[in-house]
Amino acid sequence: MRPELMTGNRAAAAAAKLARVDYVPAYPITPQTEIIETIADWAREGTMDAKFVQLESEHSMMTAAGAAALTGARVFTATSSQGLLYAMEMLYNISGWRAPMVLMNVSRALAAPIVLEPDHNDVLSARDSGFLQLHSETCQEVADLVLLAYRVAEDKRVMLPAIVNLDGFYLSFTREKVSLPEQAEVDRFLPPYDPPHPIRATRPVSKGSAVMEGYLYSYFRYNMHAAALRAKEAFSEAARDFQDLFGRAYGPVEGYRLDDAEYVLVMSNSFTTLGRQAVNRVREQGVKAGLLKLRMVRPFPTEEVAALLKGRKVDAVFDQNLSPGLGGILYPEIAASLYHVRDRPGALLPVVGGLGGKQLTSDEMCQVFERMRGVDVGGERPEPMFLMRDEELTKAERAVATAGVHG
Amino acid sequence: MILRVRFHGRGGQGAKTASRILGNAAFNDGYNAQDFPIYGAERRGAPVTAFTRFSESEITERGFIFSPDVVAVMDDSLTADPTASPFAGLRKGGLAIVNTAKPAAEVNGGRTDIAVLTLDLTRRALDTLGKAVLSSGIAAAVARASGITSEAFMRGLVEELKEVGLSDDAISKNVALATAIYDVVSPIKLHTEELPARADLVPLAVVVSGEGTEDVVNTGNSASRHTGNWRITKPVIDYLKCTDCMICYAYCPESAMSAGPDGRIAIDYDNCKGCMICQTECPLRAIGSQMEGLQ
Amino acid sequence: MSTATKFKTLKDIPKEEYIAPGNTMCAGCGGILAVRIFHKALGPNVAWVNAAGCMTISVSYPLSPLKSNWLYTAFASAPAGAQGIRDALDVLMAKGKLQKSEDLKVVVVTGDGAAYDIGFQSTAGAIQRDLDFYYLCYDNEAYGNTGFQMSSSTPYASSSKTTPVTAAYPYGNTGRKKDLFEAWRAMKAPYVATLSNSHGVDFLRKVEKGEGIRGPKLYIDFAACPTGWGFDPKYSIEVEKLAVQTGVWPLKESVDGVVRHTYVPRALTPVREYLRTQERYGHLFKPVEKPEAIATIQRSVNDYWAKVAAEESTQATPAPA
Repeated sequence: MRPELMTGNRAAAAAAKLARVDYVPAYPITPQTEIIETIADWAREGTMDAKFVQLESEHSMMTAAGAAALTGARVFTATSSQGLLYAMEMLYNISGWRAPMVLMNVSRALAAPIVLEPDHNDVLSARDSGFLQLHSETCQEVADLVLLAYRVAEDKRVMLPAIVNLDGFYLSFTREKVSLPEQAEVDRFLPPYDPPHPIRATRPVSKGSAVMEGYLYSYFRYNMHAAALRAKEAFSEAARDFQDLFGRAYGPVEGYRLDDAEYVLVMSNSFTTLGRQAVNRVREQGVKAGLLKLRMVRPFPTEEVAALLKGRKVDAVFDQNLSPGLGGILYPEIAASLYHVRDRPGALLPVVGGLGGKQLTSDEMCQVFERMRGVDVGGERPEPMFLMRDEELTKAERAVATAGVHG
Repeated sequence: MILRVRFHGRGGQGAKTASRILGNAAFNDGYNAQDFPIYGAERRGAPVTAFTRFSESEITERGFIFSPDVVAVMDDSLTADPTASPFAGLRKGGLAIVNTAKPAAEVNGGRTDIAVLTLDLTRRALDTLGKAVLSSGIAAAVARASGITSEAFMRGLVEELKEVGLSDDAISKNVALATAIYDVVSPIKLHTEELPARADLVPLAVVVSGEGTEDVVNTGNSASRHTGNWRITKPVIDYLKCTDCMICYAYCPESAMSAGPDGRIAIDYDNCKGCMICQTECPLRAIGSQMEGLQ
Repeated sequence: MSTATKFKTLKDIPKEEYIAPGNTMCAGCGGILAVRIFHKALGPNVAWVNAAGCMTISVSYPLSPLKSNWLYTAFASAPAGAQGIRDALDVLMAKGKLQKSEDLKVVVVTGDGAAYDIGFQSTAGAIQRDLDFYYLCYDNEAYGNTGFQMSSSTPYASSSKTTPVTAAYPYGNTGRKKDLFEAWRAMKAPYVATLSNSHGVDFLRKVEKGEGIRGPKLYIDFAACPTGWGFDPKYSIEVEKLAVQTGVWPLKESVDGVVRHTYVPRALTPVREYLRTQERYGHLFKPVEKPEAIATIQRSVNDYWAKVAAEESTQATPAPA
């Protein structure tokens, strides 16, 4: 189809429509709301053949979503931030039910304090929930990953729900070029949803029952883990078909200028674009820089990360999230992926930035490469970087003074 | 010296309380002690397990007791109940104390390498307390067999019964019951050996070879649970009086009443829990009761 | 009550069993009995949607006593689970992906903890959306599954694990029982009814009546709990009967907001007769009787029925105790 300008939110809604979603339970939250508004319009106009229902909370929204998936409907919904946390209990239930569905998370940093712009503490809080996670850098990726997510989630080897993440504002409200595939081709890519034992009058089934014993619980949890691992092969196969049909290639990770790179920056989501720009800038100065983008966060692409980061002088992990008292959340996952690699990088620099959507300049990203080059390879653990420009600190201190302190 | 005691009872019989009385008693006698119950789907009448460990030195164990030195079986129907398996892992040379009116050979779970002490605690509890609560009696038997002093035991007993909120009158009846049992049991010197046991660890790839959803497709398959084992009192229909009015049927919470091919009401004793609603509600008093195991 | 009812006497109770023997509830459980009777009245083709409670444990893998569909959701959101199943069935049937013969009656089943407390919001949402479903609350007036702690259904002067009787709190629970019937009615549910297992024909007829009504059909069953309330299980039905005869548990229904009492005791039995059957009220009688607390309960029951008399003037009303 002819490329057009659209927001990430609209790309998500359009992909849901192309996936012939049956059911969309919804609840509003900024910056996700445009997705459900768009679908509400289409469902009421009759241009999208799906039932749209607004629930009274995200917790109920996800309960309805999972229950409908267990009844045999293809389900789509979306949330952000606090909404994801409010629904969190149900995420664990839905994956435990082995109910495939797609949940868009439009990243927004978590309160308190309240902010509307993104970081990834919201989506990463769901990293242990059993939902597959695919994170997008562009609006095109948003649409494509939704289709891939359904294919993988509903694969009989997998049968797990999936989150597709897009950053609030930087993708959700950003219009850019998106090529939507033709419906007929999507139908070839994505077969109808056909779960093994849906809730039925003629073949009753009991779902979500208590197990009451640790050995049974372990059995089912191990099964879920194995299914999540199998999502890697399901993803590879789906991505091959996707490329054949639509021409765009997707792996669980994506390298940028890695061939001879000595300094590699690991990033995910929309700010990756700024990382690419920084790579190009420092390359102009003769630095052998490269970038590794994480597209799949669950299952974690351990082997791919190891293969592409090993042998480098210094790698850095840019975490747009913060686990207070630890640091970035993805850093330890990358470090663990490298632990058993013989030729592992000389150092792994932790970088935290972009919290609450704090803007990033390409200059800051270049400074990250500068710091990587200054790391004492094979020496002490490098000091973590917490990005804040001096003029930002000045503004912050001014605000604190305005708010005042009790003397 | 460490002694590991595993209590097997049915919900409501007092297995947890017994494990705590014994824990108190051992602690009062100068031992290190540890006790804990396992909560599951148990309800009044369902199999329950509780544990007490006590030791002269520091206890370096925790959790389920797989290899007890002593098992205390509070209901002889448990000796044949595969979900309870009270003799599983009991050490060679170990002791089983079984509440039963039957001879030891019928309630030893087929084990000839253990000592078995039988006591009719239910009868004694009914006589002294007026109900089949067995915690004080079974705890007294274990405490005496394992050589805990009378003073330490009685103090531990009263502490625990106060803790669970018993009245002074009920406590003194329990003390009387416990004293009588303490006095008929003798200390037993145990020389136990752990049974050889090694279970192979299974690789993840083997564990996860199935479909992995916890769907129950064979719905309505619960009859194999045999909740009839929970029963203390058994309803018995007097067919000379019964007019098949269906009132008992309507009010049976267990779906354990049915009209047979002859149109007469029949009771499914495999799963009747003995709530005795049928007896209470029968307008013709056509349903009598029998104590299980006391026919 | 319409004369078209199938249920004239208790003997008309349907003989099909939809719950197999061997459930894990306590002996004498009023909750599982309510589910059994409710299911008999509804017939086959049911999807039960459950929130955390005693009934949750009744389906313990790999055994399920229910011959019909079952989904455990979460404590707070069983009505939303019903929404998902109902909507999925509707959309799949509308799209021709599912035959009409596969349609199901969707029934939420929860205890009072879910209905009165943590799931109140999701129930309100389902009522507001006019979801076509049934809600069966087996009300044992406390969190029974966790060992009998206070819920907002726990009546005044009941003891519970979190409202223990002490010198400073001689009556146990100081709060009042939430009026869920009125709360649901206020939200414009087309059908709301109270049930008691002890009044089986009334119970069956109310389920039958609900079947003819589209939208939320909400039932609160007074479910005697021998373990939590402290009485011999053989008296389960008798305790429920006493609750009805003392007027503590009124049997009523609301059709489109119009309330009618379906059983009016001729004269109220004194509440004392009901209270003294249960250990949860034991402190009102031991070591010495506390007539002021009993009188407070009696007064609220008398006031209730006096109000009924004023509002439903066509009905015979009971003489106060």
